[in-house]
Amino acid sequence: MLKMPGWEMSIVWYFFLGGIAGGAYFTAAIADNVGSRRDQAVARVGYLLSLPLVAVCGVLLIADLGVPKRFMNMILHFKFWDPMSIGAWAVGIFGAFTFVSSVLSFTSSESMAQLRRRISLVGMLFGFFLAGYTGILLSNSAMPFWGDSRLMGALFLASGGSTGMAAVALIMFLTGRSVGEAWHKIEVADRYSMLVEMLVLALFLGLLGAAAQPITTGHFARLFWGGLVGAGLIVPLLLNLFGSRVRALGLVSAVLVLVGGFILRYVVVMSIQG
Amino acid sequence: MARTLAMFTDTSLCIGCRACQVACKQWNELGLEEPEWTGTYQNHAHFTDKTFRLVRFIEAPGAKPNGDLAWLLMSDVCKHCAQAGCLDACPTGAIYRTEYGTVNINQDVCNGCRYCVASCPFGVVSFNEQTGTAKKCTFCNDRIHNGLGPACAKACPTDSIQFGFRDELVAKANQRVEALKAMGFKDAQLYGADSNGFLGGLNAFFLLLAKPATYNLPENPQRPQRNVVVDSLFSIGSAILVGVGALLAFRERGKGGA
Ligand code: SF4
Ligand code: SF4
Repeated sequence: MLKMPGWEMSIVWYFFLGGIAGGAYFTAAIADNVGSRRDQAVARVGYLLSLPLVAVCGVLLIADLGVPKRFMNMILHFKFWDPMSIGAWAVGIFGAFTFVSSVLSFTSSESMAQLRRRISLVGMLFGFFLAGYTGILLSNSAMPFWGDSRLMGALFLASGGSTGMAAVALIMFLTGRSVGEAWHKIEVADRYSMLVEMLVLALFLGLLGAAAQPITTGHFARLFWGGLVGAGLIVPLLLNLFGSRVRALGLVSAVLVLVGGFILRYVVVMSIQG
Repeated sequence: MARTLAMFTDTSLCIGCRACQVACKQWNELGLEEPEWTGTYQNHAHFTDKTFRLVRFIEAPGAKPNGDLAWLLMSDVCKHCAQAGCLDACPTGAIYRTEYGTVNINQDVCNGCRYCVASCPFGVVSFNEQTGTAKKCTFCNDRIHNGLGPACAKACPTDSIQFGFRDELVAKANQRVEALKAMGFKDAQLYGADSNGFLGGLNAFFLLLAKPATYNLPENPQRPQRNVVVDSLFSIGSAILVGVGALLAFRERGKGGA
């Protein structure tokens, strides 16, 4: 007897791209702050990637409203415990951080670079938020499966990390920067994220038990087990672990992680509404 | 805050005439809809953006005191929950509580995000494609502010829907349960009358002749927002793990890079 909100493909894209934007930014911020000078290539790619993605997120979020011109109503009415309300705020604030970081990623002055690193430490928190809050939004609803899950936010966040890192790796490959230490580091970081994501996914399914059936059985099961667990996590992790000498395998791994991240949002959002 | 108003729907008195459903449509100018074939007399299958009162027709084998099939009727409506999931979810403040304790959607503020639709434990709120906003029973907000009861309660020919002050209606409802039990309706029970019960009590509460599940009602509906802190803490844990992973990967080993 429950009613479905009718959040469909634009929301799937919003969750997916928001995860990448958040993940790419916090990866960039970490690389910028603790990495070597050469890791600044990673940082710059991450900052510059998160900016257009968060802009697309904003457009998707507004366009999916029933009355888009009243978007400001959910900014003006601030509810600090409400994921939808603070989410809209966070997209705006995070957008501003990505803009400033992107501009400062072109600086050659050391003091400006220092400023950029400081700023990114704060922006990073909004990046984590954007990657994870969408899961909390779903888990704080009356819907079966969504509302039963306690780890939806944690899972989306880990997936935001792995897809954000994969997207950065992919861009480095495509722009010919896939040589040397920075590329290796982003691959290692992505490996850790995938491991965290697997761990969280296992706990997520374990805690849900039978409530996870909308994705573990039936129509969406093949996509979930084959597309996300198999092709989107296990295969890329193996490629990442054992294929690190062949750069093309790193590329394949990154693409698979991205496809898996999309499938995750897709099966979660669509399964109970299908 | 004024004294809390309520609607008490005594399903044992319902004859399935749907006068309430029609009165609601007329007063609120809800417009025409295509009828649906639901397999019973019920129309529509669920609440819609143009159906705020809905008479449910339920065939329940073995639910009669003598073990026969019971044909149960229930005029369903927004429960105007004391702890309303829809209200807590609404990011624009469009959903508000009136001074009478009812829950209403301000159509000039709602931006159609649909979070309320996903946050009602009873599947009440519906999205209207034409206006782009969320719709549900208003408890006839215009009428109650002008000294009238809701149109459905006014139209009901059997007093299956009663309108009044909540405390008075609850007392009446309790007596009615006792009377029905004495008549042999052993499963007669109130749903949502207890303000210490689930969701802080429902301001539109019901008398049922069978278990809530027989009416497809949740036995113990919960606030959808009850886990926001736990979920956030788990997410922070996940952020720390992913962040530490990236930190280990990028950390400088020795000055000037490895
Ligand atoms: S029944 Fe649903 S729509 Fe009505 S007040 Fe409760 S949560 Fe809101
Ligand atoms: S659809 Fe409208 S009433 Fe419902 S939560 Fe969104 S803004 Fe509030």
